[in-house]
Amino acid sequence: MKVLLVDDEQKFAKMLAKRLELRGIDTDYVHSGEDAILKTGMSSYDVAILDVKMPGIGGLELERRLKALAPEMKFIFLTGHGSKTDFEAGSALAARYLAKPIRIEDLISILQEVTG
Amino acid sequence: MIARIRKALGPIWPEFFHQDTKLLDPYMTFTNYRKIWILGISVLIATSLVPLLVVTIIHYRLLEKSVDSELRLRTERLASNARRAITFFLEERLDALRFTVNEIGYDRLTDPDHLEEILRNLKLGFGGLTDLSVIDHSGKQLAYAGPYNLGGRDYSNQRWFIECQQHSFYVSEIFRGYRDVPHVIIAAKSFRKDGSFFIMRATLDTERLIKALQSYETGAHAHIFLVNRSGTIQTPAKQHGEIFQKMSLPVPDFSRRTQVIVTQDDKKQALIIGYAYLMTRIADTPFILMVVKHKAGMMQVWRQLRSNINWFVGAGTLVILAVIIITCTFLVNKLYHADKAKAEAMAMMEQSNQLASIGQLAAGVAHEINNPLALINETAGYVKDLFVIKQQYRHDDELIGYIDDILDAVERCGMITGQLLGFARKFEVKIREVNLKEVISDVLVFHNKEASYRNIKVCVNVPEDMPPIKTDRAKLQQVLVNLVNNAFQALDDGCLLDIEASPKGNDKIDITISDNGCGMPEENLPKIFEPFFTTKEGNRGTGLGLAITYGLVKKLHGDITVKSRLNEGTTFTITLPTRIQEESIENEGVTGR
Repeated sequence: MKVLLVDDEQKFAKMLAKRLELRGIDTDYVHSGEDAILKTGMSSYDVAILDVKMPGIGGLELERRLKALAPEMKFIFLTGHGSKTDFEAGSALAARYLAKPIRIEDLISILQEVTG
Repeated sequence: MIARIRKALGPIWPEFFHQDTKLLDPYMTFTNYRKIWILGISVLIATSLVPLLVVTIIHYRLLEKSVDSELRLRTERLASNARRAITFFLEERLDALRFTVNEIGYDRLTDPDHLEEILRNLKLGFGGLTDLSVIDHSGKQLAYAGPYNLGGRDYSNQRWFIECQQHSFYVSEIFRGYRDVPHVIIAAKSFRKDGSFFIMRATLDTERLIKALQSYETGAHAHIFLVNRSGTIQTPAKQHGEIFQKMSLPVPDFSRRTQVIVTQDDKKQALIIGYAYLMTRIADTPFILMVVKHKAGMMQVWRQLRSNINWFVGAGTLVILAVIIITCTFLVNKLYHADKAKAEAMAMMEQSNQLASIGQLAAGVAHEINNPLALINETAGYVKDLFVIKQQYRHDDELIGYIDDILDAVERCGMITGQLLGFARKFEVKIREVNLKEVISDVLVFHNKEASYRNIKVCVNVPEDMPPIKTDRAKLQQVLVNLVNNAFQALDDGCLLDIEASPKGNDKIDITISDNGCGMPEENLPKIFEPFFTTKEGNRGTGLGLAITYGLVKKLHGDITVKSRLNEGTTFTITLPTRIQEESIENEGVTGR
């Protein structure tokens, strides 16, 4: 399983990526939507974990663009808001969401779920 | 009693008199309505009543002046007419005497029979004569015709005889004389052929004179009489003195013309006196004609008129005053109520805005905390991962315990910020299915610590088969927060707070929040949902919490009632419909006191 983690909080992204790696999940991380698009163009990912609120391209917009590049890609959203509303207002295609701070076990189980 | 008057007066009861808007003062346009009211009334009185009173006074002055001059004029005219009549009376008789003495001659006049015949003719022609006599130059009476036998008398020392010698004609005062009957003497001097003089004297009847005078008397307030030049009364003068006595009034100054003076009598009553010194063409007379009028009596009509005007002005003034006061009170009342309503709305709005911005601030703070918190979480998680997954510290339970503590703490923080965020999200208005139990436990989260510190037991009893309700969660949450806050403020340590929910019929639910705290006196109960009603001392309460709660419940199409007993506790019951339509709810973010 190959995961792309996109979050503007650099240390957070780095730590989460390391934790996923420790659990045997191959994870790349970038800090902006633009980088994420570049990365997706270069290699293929099974799952993208996106922060909803980012400077520049936000999580929901990024999902739309990445979907165009890699239609098979699954998406998991992270939010600092801790509320369902962001998602209800946004894409109906959003597979899952998680509120920060997250429990790694929750993330793992959702990852397994989306990759089936 | 006051309440009854208040009810009867309705909108003109001056409610601003006991203005109690201390909490509202910063929002009121005017703070002293009593002053405005007094100012308004004063200005209206000054602009309406003062001109009325000034005009009335000016009118009085003018009227009094014209009545006064009219009175003078009438007195003067009366005196003039009476003077002319009396002068004519005397003149006529003096003329007749002059004619007789010159025409008939000494010889025939001294013949008693002849004299008798002349008297008879004169009486027929003019009337008012009593007798006739002829006196020679030595003062001896030569002939007499008349009812008294006065023949042969000597008048040489008498004043009239001496004066007649000097002035040819003479008119006497009224006197009693020998016969003891008031009479007037007139006399005319003539010369005999030998050059010596003789005098013919006639006695006039005063009855006719008095009658002539009295015929000019009009009304009870005017008196006409004669006095002599030293002020002795000659004809009846009523209260001004007895006949042949000095009159009570001063003798007026000499004047050939009719004069009017205003003076006072001995009782300090104002008198208008018209007088004339009587002088005939032929001879002066000793008489002064007096016309005395009591001003007060004559002014009676004027006084009647004035009293009518006074009544009218008085009644008019009262009506104007009443209209001014009623209008002013009504308008100031309206203004006061409008201002108060405006101030209340402004105060409420400010309160709402403050609370809303506190909510926004909390949301911002929570959001900001969340990111570092997420980082702590991941970092600590990674450290733990290292321990657990890398096997190196796998059996160092103490170390792992510490890290778990960090993670627990972070989790708790996360929960709190999560709740804070959820709570501050007031601007999301969504009618959705709400789990009442969840809402209540969310609300109580913020009171758990206080409850445990203060040993307050909180019982929540929501039956499992409670139907889910569709409502605005945020508003319901605010309502519950306000009521729970209130209860916590009313509760003593170690007391009980009970929250229960139960279905009511098919489409309603009841939520009761009861405490066994200090309770409220019964008279306060009808007022507790009014804005700015507070029993909390000092600045602790704004008096808005329950008013806002009431408003929120109404917006949820519900109802709120309260029961309370002093020192026994208070129970609030909220009745809510299980389903409400979305469009009927307005968006508003407010919370409790």
